[in-house]
Amino acid sequence: MKKILQNIYLTLIIIFLYAPIATLVVLSFNDSKTRSKWGGFTGKWYISLFKDDAIMNALYTTLIIALLSALIATVIGTAASLGIQAMHRRYRTFMMGVTNIPMLNADIVTGISLMLLFVACRFTMGFSTILMAHITFNIPYVILSVMPKLRQTNKHTYEAAMDLGASPVYAFFKVVFPDILPGVLSGFLLAFTMSLDDFVITHFTKGPGVDTLSTKIYSEVRKGIRPEMYALSTIMFVSVLLLLILINMNPSGKGHDKARAEKTMSNRRRFGRVLMTRVVPAVLTIVVIAGGFFYASRTNISGKEQVVVYNWGEYLDPQVIKMFEEETGISVVYEEYETNEIMYPKIQSGAIAYDVVCPSDYMIQRMIENDLLAEINWDNIPNIKNMDETYMKQSQQFDPGNKYSVPYCWGTVGILYNKTMVDEPIDSWSVLWDEKYKDNILMQDSVRDAFAVALKYLGYSLNSTDLDELNEARNLLIEQKPLVQAYVVDQVRDKMIGNEAAIGVIYSGEAIYTQWENPDLEYVIPKEGSNVWIDSWVIPKNAPNKENAEKFINFVCRPDIALMNFEFITYSTPNKAARALIEDPDIRNSEIAFPSSEQLADCETFRFLGDKNDAVYNELWREVKSK
Amino acid sequence: MPNKLIDIIDVSKSFGDNLVLDELNLYIRENEFLTLLGPSGCGKTTLLRILGGFETPDKGKVIFDGKDITSIAPNKRQLNTVFQKYALFTHMTIAENIAFGLKIKNKPQSYINDKIRYALKLVNLEGFEERLPDSLSGGQQQRIAIARAIVNEPKVLLLDEPLGALDLKLRQDMQYELIRLKNELGITFIYVTHDQEEALTMSDTIVVMNQGYIQQIGTPEDIYNEPENAFVADFIGDSNIFDAIMVEDKLVKIVGVNFPCVDTGFGRNKPVDAVIRPEDIDLVKPEEGTLQGIVTHVIFKGVHYEMEVTANNYEWLVHSTDMFPVGTEVGIHVDPFDIQIMKKPESEDEEAVSVEE
Repeated sequence: MKKILQNIYLTLIIIFLYAPIATLVVLSFNDSKTRSKWGGFTGKWYISLFKDDAIMNALYTTLIIALLSALIATVIGTAASLGIQAMHRRYRTFMMGVTNIPMLNADIVTGISLMLLFVACRFTMGFSTILMAHITFNIPYVILSVMPKLRQTNKHTYEAAMDLGASPVYAFFKVVFPDILPGVLSGFLLAFTMSLDDFVITHFTKGPGVDTLSTKIYSEVRKGIRPEMYALSTIMFVSVLLLLILINMNPSGKGHDKARAEKTMSNRRRFGRVLMTRVVPAVLTIVVIAGGFFYASRTNISGKEQVVVYNWGEYLDPQVIKMFEEETGISVVYEEYETNEIMYPKIQSGAIAYDVVCPSDYMIQRMIENDLLAEINWDNIPNIKNMDETYMKQSQQFDPGNKYSVPYCWGTVGILYNKTMVDEPIDSWSVLWDEKYKDNILMQDSVRDAFAVALKYLGYSLNSTDLDELNEARNLLIEQKPLVQAYVVDQVRDKMIGNEAAIGVIYSGEAIYTQWENPDLEYVIPKEGSNVWIDSWVIPKNAPNKENAEKFINFVCRPDIALMNFEFITYSTPNKAARALIEDPDIRNSEIAFPSSEQLADCETFRFLGDKNDAVYNELWREVKSK
Repeated sequence: MPNKLIDIIDVSKSFGDNLVLDELNLYIRENEFLTLLGPSGCGKTTLLRILGGFETPDKGKVIFDGKDITSIAPNKRQLNTVFQKYALFTHMTIAENIAFGLKIKNKPQSYINDKIRYALKLVNLEGFEERLPDSLSGGQQQRIAIARAIVNEPKVLLLDEPLGALDLKLRQDMQYELIRLKNELGITFIYVTHDQEEALTMSDTIVVMNQGYIQQIGTPEDIYNEPENAFVADFIGDSNIFDAIMVEDKLVKIVGVNFPCVDTGFGRNKPVDAVIRPEDIDLVKPEEGTLQGIVTHVIFKGVHYEMEVTANNYEWLVHSTDMFPVGTEVGIHVDPFDIQIMKKPESEDEEAVSVEE
């Protein structure tokens, strides 16, 4: 009986630990793009994963950084351990403490301090800064695994080797090193795993155009996680699992196992020795050298003309970058961010100089107010003529006089509903407060979006700063709470496709995509009006390649290019010439992609309301969420 | 007498404030089995490490075969060391351990193989080539450590308490083994130990050290029978050491009783130390003894009985093959040549005197 309970307990723990990973692995073989539907078994995500240049590049960067940083950290860490071991006991304890601190330090603190140091030293953020950061945080792990081995080794073996005629170096490598090798190896593998695993520190020390897998995956999150990412995560999990098995199987138990030692030099030992002394170093060397060439060939362009583009994740057709590079000879260093709020401090700190950035309306206003943007020389952007005047006018709400920004994408926020699950045609926000749809409503989980819905429904401006109006909106949101199935961001798309909810608040760009996947879905801009948003290209004040930036902006304003991007991201284009090129009349005339000016009559863009008002919004939202 | 092989001249060494060797002078002859004997911390291991090249003296010189080797690195010296804890290379086989030094000297493989076989035969461990050190017993490991050192044909073998970690029986076997080896190889052994029995058994010459000074240099017999001071007498074997008065030449007053002795030249009525080995005390009938006492303890030790006799309020340690039961009244007799008279140190510093030869 006790035995059965024990087993049940163990099974529960294992399920608890591995259920999430099992889900991930299963989803990586799911033929359907949505998480909620099983569309049959497929390996296609793995295939498209390996065809994806950006991901493979990130994978390679990750491996190279992990390998190099682990190697260098192993050398430095082992040398440091030797030094510490030779110290007087008092200093040794002190040194061990000092080297342990970085390991216990929060990643975020390490990351920020490294970033500050690199900025202070005027290093250009990029591959080398990530590498340095990884070496830094890896060294303590190496020391931690080498020190115990070093303490166990017989001090006299080193002297004995010297006594027998060995030079100090020969004695170290022939006698001391093999003794501490298990520690060095597990230190190396530990460092490798840590480096592979790291997100936070990499995030703070990376530069434009360089991504490791973790930062890459993170930047993909904005558009919802692609199934390729499940495949990639599965591969990473399996690799780490294999690494861990390797660490635990390394030949350390030699001395403990008398019986095994008694067997003299068994075949296994010989094999292990050949593996350790010949095969592993050879493979490592080949990978590093080949990788070095590979990487050099990729980044060789750095000496040439370049433009550093900082854009939302998956917000530009990769083909466009290739075409731009071919046509102009300017190489594009492309980096992605997830939210305006992540992008802003990077620009503000000036740690990395970007040439072109694509923020949203209210953020552009904030950047203008903080004097972070350069005025655009319109002479260099002749393609601005393709732009629909409407959007230039809309832009004036946040960029008075159209001095700083060139519209790129725009859209509305509206209601997506499932025709089979609602009875009446929907045209008002009021449906979100209809008891009939209890537990069938999805709300956006972000403060401005949620308040925009309530404020608009009440007939106020979505940029309202009037406390009475805001309190009214808050009460309305609290009243709505029992009806809401979930407050989500990306999942609205997948849940609606999977028929999990009847009504959801969603961005128009996503709406077009959901309709392709599930024809029962319909999108509407409520008659009370809504949010219309515009993401525009801007040039930061400290951009080093302003002329190239303008060339790039001009290029994406070309009708054929704008069309390519529209087809890639499905968000509405403000480029009227591009719209005219759309072949499918259903899309060209889609009311979702291109609502009429009447539909937009009551729509507003978000404005930056100042830090104080931001705080008020956040406090009210907190009250809503906690009620 | 063979030539001097090693000459240690005025060597001093301190670690921090701790003076370990103080202007020490010593020479070692070819083919000598010389033992550095003393309690832990007496500087004997430091002296050995200076010879091996693992420590550099603060002052003084080490001359080896006519050449100054004071600052020569260990790997350039014609000495090999057998370490206290064997220091075998655990990841190498026995054959690889033994071949280590020869490989560095780029000897041909056939030569190395011959040497391995020869060395293993010498230490009675034939057929152990492919074993790993961890699978050997302590005594076997020790013999491998010796084999590893001697294949390099050193002129001098330094042994740092090599038998310290072995049990008694094994230690005794190894002592004979070492003597045999030394005779077969015909090289100089410098042996460090704190075990006086080991030193007496194996050595040609014993150097007794204490607190960085040499206390006495001599053959095992000299050291045992004629200790030059109370420290040596106390350290070598069991002894009875008394505060005594040299009444005149050839007469010493111990515990208030006059004993005839053979020593001269100490002056009249001078305080001295008198040493009497327990086996040199004869227990006789009360009326035949120089003085009388009562047996207070008896322990059977195998070869002899160890007894304590109280006489004139002093405890006398006596070894004898004849047993006297506790409470027996006995007489104590000591032959004049069995009493060893030593000058008393006049100050505490002099307790550890530097002795020039």
